[in-house]
Amino acid sequence: MSKPEKSFWEKAQAIDRRVLYAVLIVCTAISLFFKTEIPVNPDDSSKDLYVSLMTIDPNKTVLIESDWTNSTRGESAGHFEALMRILMNRNIKFVLYSIADPQAPQVARDALLRIQEERKAQGLKVYEPWVDYLDLGYFPNAEGHLQAVGNNIRTAWGGRKERDEAGVERDVFTSPVLSGVRVVGDASLLIVCSASATIDIAVERLYGKVPLGFMVTGVMGPNALPYYQARQIVGMGVGLKGVYDVEYMMTYGVNYRVEGTNKPKVSYREESVTIPPVTEGTTFDRGARYFLPLHVALALMILAIILGNVAMFASRKKRVVA
Amino acid sequence: MIELIAQAAPEFNPFWGTEPSPEAIWKIFAAIAVGIVFMFLLMRVPTRSRRSIVMTFTFLSGAFYVVYYLWPEPINRGPNDAPSGFVDAGGFFLQDALPKVADIANVLTYLLLCLGIYSLTRIHLGRVVKKQKDWSFSVVLLIAMVAMIAVGYWDYILKEFNDPDKLLTKAENWGGVNYAYDMLFDGLIQQMDAAMFSMIAFFILSAAYRAFRIRSIEATVMMASAILLMVSLMGAVDYQWSEIIKGWTNDQPGNFLNNFNLSEVAGWVKNNLQIPSIRALEFGVGLGALAMGLRIWLGLERGGVSV
Repeated sequence: MSKPEKSFWEKAQAIDRRVLYAVLIVCTAISLFFKTEIPVNPDDSSKDLYVSLMTIDPNKTVLIESDWTNSTRGESAGHFEALMRILMNRNIKFVLYSIADPQAPQVARDALLRIQEERKAQGLKVYEPWVDYLDLGYFPNAEGHLQAVGNNIRTAWGGRKERDEAGVERDVFTSPVLSGVRVVGDASLLIVCSASATIDIAVERLYGKVPLGFMVTGVMGPNALPYYQARQIVGMGVGLKGVYDVEYMMTYGVNYRVEGTNKPKVSYREESVTIPPVTEGTTFDRGARYFLPLHVALALMILAIILGNVAMFASRKKRVVA
Repeated sequence: MIELIAQAAPEFNPFWGTEPSPEAIWKIFAAIAVGIVFMFLLMRVPTRSRRSIVMTFTFLSGAFYVVYYLWPEPINRGPNDAPSGFVDAGGFFLQDALPKVADIANVLTYLLLCLGIYSLTRIHLGRVVKKQKDWSFSVVLLIAMVAMIAVGYWDYILKEFNDPDKLLTKAENWGGVNYAYDMLFDGLIQQMDAAMFSMIAFFILSAAYRAFRIRSIEATVMMASAILLMVSLMGAVDYQWSEIIKGWTNDQPGNFLNNFNLSEVAGWVKNNLQIPSIRALEFGVGLGALAMGLRIWLGLERGGVSV
């Protein structure tokens, strides 16, 4: 006895997963070829982070905790590169370190090198190690380390050595980057670029000692939201939308009115704040490249959910009628 | 004791000096030798006594941080300030000792990494020697590990100690080792890392299609909020919808219809449903961690300290 032939709706309920995979890969791959500018309303958390980055004292050092690896490069690399561009455009010195993964320092170095090459090609200032930034590498024991940094940064990082301009190994606190830092609060901001729970450790150990800002993946976003709502962090970029938000604000500024228009592209709740667009270097990059594929992937997911449910109800109705 | 564990002045006092001195190198070798002897002695301790040793160390380590949190902290302490009483002296001591304790913890964590490498090597080498099931995978693992360690250190030594003019920062000056490192780390590990993570997208799509069905009220609420949040992540949709709302409200910020902006609705869901749930979860997790921490600290947790 042959099996009864499946109806259209029954077939629509049981599409082979390989077909779904193929559709996803083809659609997202095609959309990757288009670097599109999509108008958005940046999230409040992204605006707060960007405004903080653009208004901090340029003479103070920024600490960057880079806790991401290539597993989340779609989001974290975009965050990190946008951060580098902002700091380099504002000529702000920074310190890089990692506490989450031994691979993280090398990944950050590679990303930094990419931005350096890009700026060199654009004829912009290239950051010099020791003079403009320090790369302290990996510290294991995240909790203990950040506790020690909050207690006394000079003893916590004392003993770390880097090569100066002459190639001589010297204590990092004799470099122009950290020479003015006596306590962690002497840094203007600590940005945690993370794909893991190190955001929790940063708040637990350093909240109140230095202003904190987060650049996190979409998965870690919900974990970070309570800190933002409680104003324990100055702002945060979440996921690919966060990357694109920052790039969008770099391009169009915040509360900035172009001549001939009566409204800014990005408005901010504090009207006294006006940040003009970044005029030199790249603004739209990874966020703009990946934002369209994100739209495509999300649209596919929504369509798949709708199709599955419509097919389920249609075949159920058919059975009832039969 | 204070001087022994902590520096009286919080000023940085480098152990290495400008150049590694022979005396400091001898100190390091002596410390390693003492550590090995200590480990050897620990292994000789009868099994019954090991538990009490582990418990004692655990209690002392935990007690330091408990006292650190509870003891009054010196406020605005200057580099040349001296303690003026018992409470002050305790605060100064704890503040000075904390980086040293953190350093000890760092060294212990590094030792754990070494222990992991040792354990991995022992297990997989044993598998290969005994030709147990899937021993060929163990061969791949061992070769990969040894190759990465060897090439990684070789590349590091070349770049750090044999390249004063920083020529190796450019790929055109690279030698075979630098290319090998680049291929292994950036070409293989990093790409495989990214590939593994990106595969999740396929599984999520397939799972969403198969499992996200409206079969109950709970599933309906969950699906509605998931779709809402997904749509709000699509900046173009969010923007176009907000433009439509602006058209309806004549761009009046006080108009009630502005509440129906996607970002507003998604924000309401996040702020009023998601964040309280996460807080409640984290509160529960925190209480659980506190209870577990107390049990381990006081030696009540048998599993953690059994030797």
